[in-house]
Amino acid sequence: MQVPIMPAKNEKFIIPIGPQHPALKEPGHFEFSVDGEVVTGASLRLGYVHRGIEKGTEGRNWVQTLYLLERICGICSHVHATAYCLGVERLAGVEAPPRAQAIRSLVAELERIHSHLLWLGVAAHEAGFDMLFMHSWRDREIVMNLLEGLTGNRVNYSANVLGGVKCDIDARQTDAILAGLEHLEDRTRHYLTVVTSDVMFLRRTRGIGVMNKDVAEKLGVVGPTARASGVARDVRLNAPYAAYDRYPVELITATAGDLEARFIVRVQELFETYRVIRAILADLPEGELTVRMPRRIKEGETISRVEAPRGELFYFIKSNGSDTAERVKVRTPTLPNMASVLTLAVGHQLADMPMILAGIDPCFSCNDRMIVVRDPAGRGAHWTWDDLREYGIEYYR
Amino acid sequence: MNNPLENTWQSVMDQLKTWARINSPWAIHFNSGSCNGCDIEILATLTPRYDMERFGVKLQGSPRHADILICTGPVTRQARERLIRIYEQMPEPKFVVAVGSCALTGGAFQGCYNVMGGIDQVIPVDAYIPGCPPRPEAIIDGLVKLLGSLKADGALEQASEPPLVASVLEPSS
Amino acid sequence: MTIEAATPLLTTWATDTAQPEPGRLDAVVPRENLLAAVQSLVDARWGYLAAITGLDQGVEAGMFEVLYHFCSEAAVVTLRVPVPRDDARVPSVYAIIPSVSFYERELMEMFGIEVEGTPNSDRLFLPDDWPAGVYPLRKDFEMKDAGADHAG
Repeated sequence: MQVPIMPAKNEKFIIPIGPQHPALKEPGHFEFSVDGEVVTGASLRLGYVHRGIEKGTEGRNWVQTLYLLERICGICSHVHATAYCLGVERLAGVEAPPRAQAIRSLVAELERIHSHLLWLGVAAHEAGFDMLFMHSWRDREIVMNLLEGLTGNRVNYSANVLGGVKCDIDARQTDAILAGLEHLEDRTRHYLTVVTSDVMFLRRTRGIGVMNKDVAEKLGVVGPTARASGVARDVRLNAPYAAYDRYPVELITATAGDLEARFIVRVQELFETYRVIRAILADLPEGELTVRMPRRIKEGETISRVEAPRGELFYFIKSNGSDTAERVKVRTPTLPNMASVLTLAVGHQLADMPMILAGIDPCFSCNDRMIVVRDPAGRGAHWTWDDLREYGIEYYR
Repeated sequence: MNNPLENTWQSVMDQLKTWARINSPWAIHFNSGSCNGCDIEILATLTPRYDMERFGVKLQGSPRHADILICTGPVTRQARERLIRIYEQMPEPKFVVAVGSCALTGGAFQGCYNVMGGIDQVIPVDAYIPGCPPRPEAIIDGLVKLLGSLKADGALEQASEPPLVASVLEPSS
Repeated sequence: MTIEAATPLLTTWATDTAQPEPGRLDAVVPRENLLAAVQSLVDARWGYLAAITGLDQGVEAGMFEVLYHFCSEAAVVTLRVPVPRDDARVPSVYAIIPSVSFYERELMEMFGIEVEGTPNSDRLFLPDDWPAGVYPLRKDFEMKDAGADHAG
């Protein structure tokens, strides 16, 4: 059977994420075997963004390592820094002051907003809904402003220092955040309506990519992807850190376990995030922003888990008594979720692949690859991600 | 045939092409292994708040149609070959813009084993936009400056004014 | 589920246990018992495999450790498998936990520990042209071994 051949592409709006190189034939990062339209096998090769960070931590002191780890991901920089700081503080036997922990949680929730809105726009783009992309990114600018006002930067906020935080919050910023949230909440209600009632959207999401609870539990899926299958996994609840015992988060789950459920869970998480931020601002503890940290951290091992927008972020940190880490192991949420997606892919239409992948909210670094599509005889055609995306849009027209 | 009239016509065509390029350059974006911080700010420049397209810069997907290559990332080993090939596929004249500290020097990842250490370790760069990441205004400013400098060298007679740099520097509402 | 619930699941297979931090249980499991220990946790539905960490104790010590971290709510159980440097292999847990492939591939390419029976031995993160036999996360890794003209 013929491998579906892409028609010549006309100029459409292109999202410039990742290498755009339709002319370059590369060994595929994603490889899908198909029989007609149906995927019979899927495999993945990562590494495009592999920089050698874990090794890098072995040549940097504890403070330098913080700045390195913040830059693992430009979308969830704060949770990386938070996981690291909490772990190192624990090894050192210190605790950051309550005001600092509250601000850590505040920035984390603001980051969750920007990340979910970013994802909403990109996922919409995958489905061909470029208007939704423009709208959600326009609204996202509200939270970008708030983050910048609070921390001094739009991206890579560097709010964390070992021992606490470096930015404080005053009444003016509080008012700005509350005003911004009101507007965002209004817009989010609109998005919820779109993802639950727009007919074209639902054709691409309802009943697609179903993962049942058992499978999700067994495969070690995390974050909103797991919660959309009814799995009660949320580190903020399961193992509260920073200030989450003071400001508990409510679990948001769905039962359908399909793509629609993954959209609904994230949009509803936004509402819950707005509520938590208001709770933090209404009850911010007074006091110091930092506690003294030793330069050398005593020997020990610790595990630090936080809830990134995409799910559980897992850090294992080992110190050897010096000013440099012995080992820092980072397991990002996209890795187990990606594994689950590849298992799911089999039996689905090739045209569903872009949305199924978008549904796990993969960190972009994972979403900019060349694809090889193989027919049952093993012949392969090279596609770009955009080819696959367009194929999906055309299929559902 | 080396007809003097031919030469004049050729030079007029060249100037028209340069004018068209500068007022409506086509760009291609390439991520050489960045954390995506710079890429999302580049993406933000396309969204309504910043709207880079009003300055005439059009982002599209093919190196063969591109005047400008906008690059992020410290260049991982996997990205290196692709970066070179994209550059080679672009027709002359072509310009390369390195966006973000990593693209400039490798940034925070200097010395890491899978990182080349910046775009200019691999291909020539014409404009450097620093930041971690640079804000969308800075990215637009850098691009506009590059276009402006091309005009200064390009010796056009009837160029329309470059996009107002001042409007880029005004604080956004 | 709790640490207390996990302990009896592992006593048959572990040669030593410790609680290094509240909510954490470390169990030293010889590699011949690894599959049984993992099966025990999975059968009891104790948590999920969250990550696999490789540790190099150094050339002199001559040992690696492979840590299998299982999480359930706030509790973390870590199976610690000692692996001699000169006989660097562990069995794959793929038959029990099919989503483990990425973690095992990462372990192999970073430490050079062979994971026996894992279905996919392709590199996950390292480039295709990375020199064979060079394992970046080993303590004796040197940049010059990575080849290529790094500006670094």
